[in-house]
Amino acid sequence: MAAILEVTNLHKHFGGIHVTRHVNFSMHEGEQSAIIGPNGAGKSTFMNLLTGYHRCDAGKVVFEGRDITNRSPHEIARRGISRAFQVSSIFVKMSVAENVRSAVHAQMRRSFSILGAASRIGVEETGRVLALCGLESKRDLIAGELAQGDKKRLELAIALAGKPRLLFLDEPTAGMSIEEARSTMELVDRLNRELGLTVLFTEHDMGIVFNHARRLTLMHRGEIVVQGTPEEVRANEIAQKVYLGEHHV
Amino acid sequence: MSAPEVQPGWLARHGLARPVAMAMLVLFLLVPLLPGEYWTQVSTEVLILGLFAMSFNLLYGYMGQISFGHAAFFGVGAYASAMLFVRLKTAGGSIGMLDFFLSLLAGPPVAAFAALVVGFFCVRLTGIYFAMLSLAFGELLFYIVFSWYSFTKGDDGIQGLLPPLFFQDAVNYYYLTLAIVTLAFLVLWRITESPFGYIMRTLRDNQRRAAFLGINVRLHMLINFVIAGSFAGLAGALWGPFSRSVNPGLLGWQESGVAVFMTLIGGAGSLIGPLLGSVIYTLLQAVVKMYTVYWPLTIGTIILLIVLFLPGGVLGLIEKRLKARRSAGDGET
Repeated sequence: MAAILEVTNLHKHFGGIHVTRHVNFSMHEGEQSAIIGPNGAGKSTFMNLLTGYHRCDAGKVVFEGRDITNRSPHEIARRGISRAFQVSSIFVKMSVAENVRSAVHAQMRRSFSILGAASRIGVEETGRVLALCGLESKRDLIAGELAQGDKKRLELAIALAGKPRLLFLDEPTAGMSIEEARSTMELVDRLNRELGLTVLFTEHDMGIVFNHARRLTLMHRGEIVVQGTPEEVRANEIAQKVYLGEHHV
Repeated sequence: MSAPEVQPGWLARHGLARPVAMAMLVLFLLVPLLPGEYWTQVSTEVLILGLFAMSFNLLYGYMGQISFGHAAFFGVGAYASAMLFVRLKTAGGSIGMLDFFLSLLAGPPVAAFAALVVGFFCVRLTGIYFAMLSLAFGELLFYIVFSWYSFTKGDDGIQGLLPPLFFQDAVNYYYLTLAIVTLAFLVLWRITESPFGYIMRTLRDNQRRAAFLGINVRLHMLINFVIAGSFAGLAGALWGPFSRSVNPGLLGWQESGVAVFMTLIGGAGSLIGPLLGSVIYTLLQAVVKMYTVYWPLTIGTIILLIVLFLPGGVLGLIEKRLKARRSAGDGET
């Protein structure tokens, strides 16, 4: 299977603090992986580097054979990488449907269209994404007024509207009830299984991680310390010592 | 200043956009029936400044950035039009109908070019930095016009912009202004309801998220800045023949403040809000000035009250009432 993402020697520091240290990482098409690690391990920074939010000091990021190192977020998104944020990042004053529809327009390269009616463009795709994420009944609600779990779902819907081939999810179930978290992760599984979407997520809930990721990467102090299947990582002594021990898995 | 309180599009969402716009159009059409020319003149001013305020609201209400230098484009449009007007004028001081319209058309593209240059720098910043840079550019353009006597006639301004005989009649010029502003309103409405208009709303709400959708934030902001500048330029072009002169004050920060005030009074959450704000501001100014010289004190107090008690402006208040009534109705059923 071809590598969809290749990260070589990625390094980032803020002043004297090295938040990502010469990280080598790869993902294969159709894979569903998780990055785990204690707070401050560098998981979110790593995602920020991959999606262009931060500039790398050194290293290379290659997506589908193309170098995307230090490209701007919008260029990377256009290449087929979407992300959902740890704290829900949505368009709070717009309705749920308008949130998704704008993402659909961006994906359709219609964001410069100034004379077409927004309400008539991308209608089907908007409806499909809303239905997929279980947000159809909430389509006319103002996004900022949604419950936390629904905001996270909307965040996921916005990311999916971009028709990504690689999806980064930063703590996708944070703030959700157990039932919401279960259905969200089932949706992610389905996207991965049925549509072949490559998914990389970070998560603190080890139950979710071990149930939904087929490959794990443990980060600690900006470095990758262990990589492997959930069973391999669970059995690893370093993993037990730096992180998993405190989670009793 | 934070992003506007009201969600653009709520009038449309409640099916009120067309009725409100139609009601305003009918009222505007009936204005010349009032006795005397005074209210027709005031209403012409309402329309021109309303268009100026609507163009400002593309930046504030839809893109979430406040500009304190937007009058620069109003003034550049007014000067571009006036300078061409003067060149096309005959030796006798009159201007032909075609030349008059040509001079009006000069305003928007020249203002758009000025907006392109200023916007190139401004869109690199957001919030207070955007506001301050726009103010700095506005003042820079003001001083260029103020000081470059050989080109702009400096603080004397350009006088004698007498339109063709037909439009020297206040009612005829009023209807011309109404036609142009209505057309501009329709184009602006189309833009704000287009995919581009909704992308502007995403930039207002969350620029970072928008970038991760694949949206080139700066480029979209720049295009919006240029569109806003060109409509301000159109308003400026209409101003010269209306007041028969242009002066550097049209580019100053006080003129920019007028657009801000009108938008805050009417409500930044819809296209029609600033136009309503222009109606309230200009009529109030006309009435207050009949009785007292303390207009700045009056408008200052009104803005203070609006910011404190009506952050969504008059339309925001109406929306709150509508929501409350709807909630009460739902509670009863």
